[in-house]
Amino acid sequence: MSEMKAHSIDISAMQRSQQTLRIENETPCLTVNNLELFYGEKQALNGIDMIIPEKKVTAFIGPSGCGKSTLLRCFNRMNDLVDTCRITGEINLHDTNIYAKGTEVAELRRRVGMVFQKPNPFPKSIYENVAYGLRIQGINKKRIIDETVEWALRSAALWDEVKDRLHESALGMSGGQQQRLVIARTVAVKPEVLLLDEPASALDPISTLKIEELIHELKEEFTIAIVTHNMQQAARVSDYTAFMYMGDLIEFGDTNTLFTNPSKQQTEDYITGRYG
Amino acid sequence: MTSIKEKKMQKASVSNWFKSGDPWVWLNAGAVAISVIMVIGLLLLIAVRGLGHFWPADIVEAKYEIPGSPAYNLVAERVESVEVPAVQVREAGINIGDDKELVSRTLMKTGNRDFYGSDFRWVLDDFLTEVEKPEMLFAAERHEWGNLYGYLKAVKEDGTVIAETQDKQVTDSALATWESFQQSIERALVIHDDIYQIEKHDIGAINHGLERLRLKQRSLELNDELTPAILADLDADRAVFDQEYKVLQDRLITLYGEINRDTFVVEAMDGTISELQVAKVVRAFRPNAMNVFEKMGFYGAKLWEFLSDDPREANTEGGVFPAIFGTIMMVLLMTILVTPFGVVAAVYLREYASQGWLTRIIRIAVNNLAGVPSIVYGVFGLGFFIYFMGSSIDQAFFPEALPSPTFGTGGLMWASITLALLTVPVVIVATEEGLSRIPRNVREGSLALGATKAETLWRVVLPMASPAIMTGVILAVARAAGEVAPLMLVGVVKLAPSLPLDGNYPFIHLDQKFMHLGFHIYDVGFQSPNVEAARPLVYATALLLVIVIALLNLAAVTIRNHLREKYKSLEM
Repeated sequence: MSEMKAHSIDISAMQRSQQTLRIENETPCLTVNNLELFYGEKQALNGIDMIIPEKKVTAFIGPSGCGKSTLLRCFNRMNDLVDTCRITGEINLHDTNIYAKGTEVAELRRRVGMVFQKPNPFPKSIYENVAYGLRIQGINKKRIIDETVEWALRSAALWDEVKDRLHESALGMSGGQQQRLVIARTVAVKPEVLLLDEPASALDPISTLKIEELIHELKEEFTIAIVTHNMQQAARVSDYTAFMYMGDLIEFGDTNTLFTNPSKQQTEDYITGRYG
Repeated sequence: MTSIKEKKMQKASVSNWFKSGDPWVWLNAGAVAISVIMVIGLLLLIAVRGLGHFWPADIVEAKYEIPGSPAYNLVAERVESVEVPAVQVREAGINIGDDKELVSRTLMKTGNRDFYGSDFRWVLDDFLTEVEKPEMLFAAERHEWGNLYGYLKAVKEDGTVIAETQDKQVTDSALATWESFQQSIERALVIHDDIYQIEKHDIGAINHGLERLRLKQRSLELNDELTPAILADLDADRAVFDQEYKVLQDRLITLYGEINRDTFVVEAMDGTISELQVAKVVRAFRPNAMNVFEKMGFYGAKLWEFLSDDPREANTEGGVFPAIFGTIMMVLLMTILVTPFGVVAAVYLREYASQGWLTRIIRIAVNNLAGVPSIVYGVFGLGFFIYFMGSSIDQAFFPEALPSPTFGTGGLMWASITLALLTVPVVIVATEEGLSRIPRNVREGSLALGATKAETLWRVVLPMASPAIMTGVILAVARAAGEVAPLMLVGVVKLAPSLPLDGNYPFIHLDQKFMHLGFHIYDVGFQSPNVEAARPLVYATALLLVIVIALLNLAAVTIRNHLREKYKSLEM
């Protein structure tokens, strides 16, 4: 536990110390009300209630299969792609229920972008990867696309590395660069929320560090929800942390409190490595 | 004692050898080796037999005398020799002595079919004497009646002798006569080209225009819109064509007069002297006087003629260009039809249809379609496309041409569609395979950016599946280009008067019948009046068909490899 604290004293921890975070004081971006999710007969999420605060980083931790990724995928309705998946309850993005009938799923996904565990650039040039979301929206003006691509790549701290080879294939980049490209691609459509599903788990430590720094910068502009199985990472990058176990949200609160003074025994057991 | 030990060791080593897996490797390697040898052997056989045909063979002159029948002079090309049992020859009543078991028999091409009724005769080598290869012997390829062999005696212009010789050896007068013969041939060929140009293209265009006028008039008539004014217009147009035709006709008469000016006198092998028109000759050459380089030049010219010219003499002479053109055109059209159709069907089956029992049955049905014998598709194409759809199209859109059918008969379009139907399962299966291999996370990446399923398919999934689609197309092309049986029912003919792509509106004639290399092989090999003459062409055409298919495949493979490089696997 003490080792953990030593790790968590870095940029975000220092900033956090200056202000006390309280969930009650935050503006909710996403509000989850009694969300239940079933894969066929099997229930994967049991009545989740929580908020994702705006312009903050919310981390989801928990052992494998606890439902954290499933919950994250509910925020942009990625679970719709699974035929057997059934959902009750609601998730409100600001004031609209994203599970209401008649919701434009494509529009929702534009507002709630997602980055996956494994880098998944399209087999196109770096430039075209970032421009993809814009072209989907029917934006074809070269000037606008040029500007957005540059802005997005700068936001993802990738511009300086790739500005001379924008028109080369994205598949020739390293894994860390590819993941930052995917983040740039997601950022380029200017979503309100960024969902990061274990974005650094397939990367080396240096690339991981870069991604973490990036998350820290991106939260100035975006609401971020990140799933991670790495507790140090959660401690380093997040403002709020949710601990999930077996489809239940066990504990949710500001990261400092949750890691230093968890209120539930299960949480403490997990973060001290006693199980999971 | 030792021998038992050795036996044991041997036994052990044999069973070890089996255990080591070596026999298995040998078996596999053997199978591969046999396949490779068979393929190479096949290609070599057709290449040697086909390509040898264009080499100018020496002409031999010899005395041929079979005991008991009168001797005669033989002038011919050697074609092939076979050993036959002597008994067989003896039974035919020819005395060849008792000491032999085998005699060698040679097929000689004597040409001069117009004199002797056939081009070829078999001779027994034993009775050939005084075999020589005189340099002044010449061969002439003609527009009709095959080759001519003999000695040139004289060349005449309007009946007056301009050069003549009595010599059969190389002398000044013989060479001078030969020289003026060559000039005369060249002149005739130029005129022949002019005539061909006029008859085929200029008059062809006029006929095409007249036919369009006729159809226009007929269609107006059918719609009761034919007013005297329009009729007068049509007649005026027709008069213009008639006028043009008259001009061309006069020019043709002049040209025919000119081309028939020259004649030459030739002495054939039996000593008969005949006078023939120079205009009938395509080329004359003296193979015995040619050195290797001249022969190579001649060979190149013949090969080029084979690739670029129209066929002559019931397809047994000349080239196969219309067949090459028809084959490629048909395959390209088939590809254009089959690719979008197959891809769209596969996309629906894999991406949209719910994967239930119905989809499974459809998939099985599609796979089984690939196994239906091709002739069945031919029958279907004839019955459904041509008789049903074709005649409906004719009634709806081309009533003016009836009763002669436009699309109600075999043609390029129906052949392409029939073959597209034949090959569509291959494309569907390959595309489905490709679609199923696109990683899920790439699709999700696109969807997560706000793309709809259709946009994801169109912009990410299909481009990534394009190498697999091309694999399907390659297989489809390979199957379609070699198919002959269904084509015989839906539009291939042994001789098409014109190419399906030309300068007359609407430029590409989908309703036209066309020639095809595969059918050409069948036609030349089995339907030809002159089988011996045609046989080398069968091999040459077969080789060409293989090459054309290989080239079409190579093109598709190149495209696929390019796509593969572009969409290289996403694995890190």
